[in-house]
Amino acid sequence: MILGWNIFPWVAAVAVLLSVVAAVCSALPSERGRHMAIYSAIGGIVVMAAFVVMLWLTLDRPPLRTMGETRLWYSLFLLLAGALTYIRWRYRWIMSFSTLLATVFIIINIAKPELHDHTLMPALQSPWFIPHVSVYMFSYSLLGCATLLSLYALWRPTKELDMAIERVLISGIAFFTIGMLSGSLWAKEAWGTYWNWDAKEAWAAATWGLYLLALHLTPQRRRVYYVVIIIAFIGLQMCWWGVNYLPSAAGSEHTYTMQN
Amino acid sequence: MSKSRVNTVYEIIVVGVSAIALFAMQHIVGEFPVTLFRFPLNILVAALWCALLVGIYRKRSTSRLSQALLSMRATILALSLIITLGIVLGLQAKPHTESWPVVGAILFVLSHLVLITIRGARDGQHRLRIRFLLNHLGLILAIGAGFWGAPDREELRVIVESDKPTNEAYRSDGKMTLLDYNMQLSDFDIEYYDTGTPSAFKAGVVVDGREQTLRVNHPYNRTLSETIYLISYDTERGADARYCIVEVVREPWRWLSVAGIVMLMAGAVLMFIEGKR
Repeated sequence: MILGWNIFPWVAAVAVLLSVVAAVCSALPSERGRHMAIYSAIGGIVVMAAFVVMLWLTLDRPPLRTMGETRLWYSLFLLLAGALTYIRWRYRWIMSFSTLLATVFIIINIAKPELHDHTLMPALQSPWFIPHVSVYMFSYSLLGCATLLSLYALWRPTKELDMAIERVLISGIAFFTIGMLSGSLWAKEAWGTYWNWDAKEAWAAATWGLYLLALHLTPQRRRVYYVVIIIAFIGLQMCWWGVNYLPSAAGSEHTYTMQN
Repeated sequence: MSKSRVNTVYEIIVVGVSAIALFAMQHIVGEFPVTLFRFPLNILVAALWCALLVGIYRKRSTSRLSQALLSMRATILALSLIITLGIVLGLQAKPHTESWPVVGAILFVLSHLVLITIRGARDGQHRLRIRFLLNHLGLILAIGAGFWGAPDREELRVIVESDKPTNEAYRSDGKMTLLDYNMQLSDFDIEYYDTGTPSAFKAGVVVDGREQTLRVNHPYNRTLSETIYLISYDTERGADARYCIVEVVREPWRWLSVAGIVMLMAGAVLMFIEGKR
């Protein structure tokens, strides 16, 4: 049954609308605006999450296999990470950015849904599958937020902003690390080695190194710090989908979308 | 020139000369002779290396080399090496992991990690000491077990047939070796989705007299360090396969890798909970 994806544009429209309302309300200075923002943001997240759950039930397998499916989780987690950052640190504009970025991924998914049948090749049938991919997706969205905050900080740096970047960055790196290590434990079960320097793994190492570099830079080098976070996010895109276009990944064990 | 600038110039020269030497070795000798360092030589060399690092750490108040190796510049160099390794190996279809420059880079990263971990462990004032130790010691174990344990790692392929038991195994260089137990294929099965794509490949293999089912993602752990994986089958005959190909992986150091990975995960959880640097 492909029923799930047929209704996606409508569900996504409702979620985006609620998120836009949240972003607008978060710009209002009043306490009432803040409450409205939080409620509509939660509404948007619940709608997206409900779609993911429904898709999971219709497909009879976790919707985490194709690039389209990972983009779906990414949009969901971006909205979640944006809302959490807003609720915790009250950044007025963060939800506008996270909504915008989530919308871009939703539009890509509507324009290019790719295949979403219910088959899951044996290589992906593992208890590691769900924690590995969902933790990664959550870290990607936190690191996406850190990138947006850093871009803003390059233009208008403040102490408060620095604190937010650090918090979001450290959480993002923590989840990225857990995603990568769960992948290595899974790799041992599936292929017999923890780490093989396969194209995807190698780019994950480079990305991880870039984020650790940002983390180890002293607070005096603020601008270098922001720039490293932004470059690391480019590395993250390579690791997530860029490798699929590299000749070195032609024989990669991590490409599940092209032929299957 | 100021003293610190003179030091920086020295450091750049040392790093540059080492890099040139490693690439030259690669050019002259070829791949790094990993298998030469099989047990017990790897333990011996690793112990000497640890002693050397402790010596370097002890001289930190007087030696310029010790100070440089413990500095933030060395941390940045180590992380840059990881990034460079990732990008260079990520662009290669067959990653060249046993080359002199790769071995040198990993040895530098490990050496720096050991030095700063000793310093962190002895620093009673360290605010986030437990997290620091979990992350850095975990990384030393995870990378170190893979690095020093690589010579002891064995990958043997066995063609397991249904007609007769076999103990002939082939190394990656094509040389045959005999296992101290037999394997025989007793049963092979492929399950399909309704779309016709396979959902599972299952091989029943009698290993040392006991029947085991091998599937993708479900290998058989014969001993603590030896695991048997199903990697291929008689594709011409499909579900009536008369043979399957299994890989026997011997990795005596694997539990050190697991310890390191678990420590790193715990460190990551603490990073999330504690937040700040």
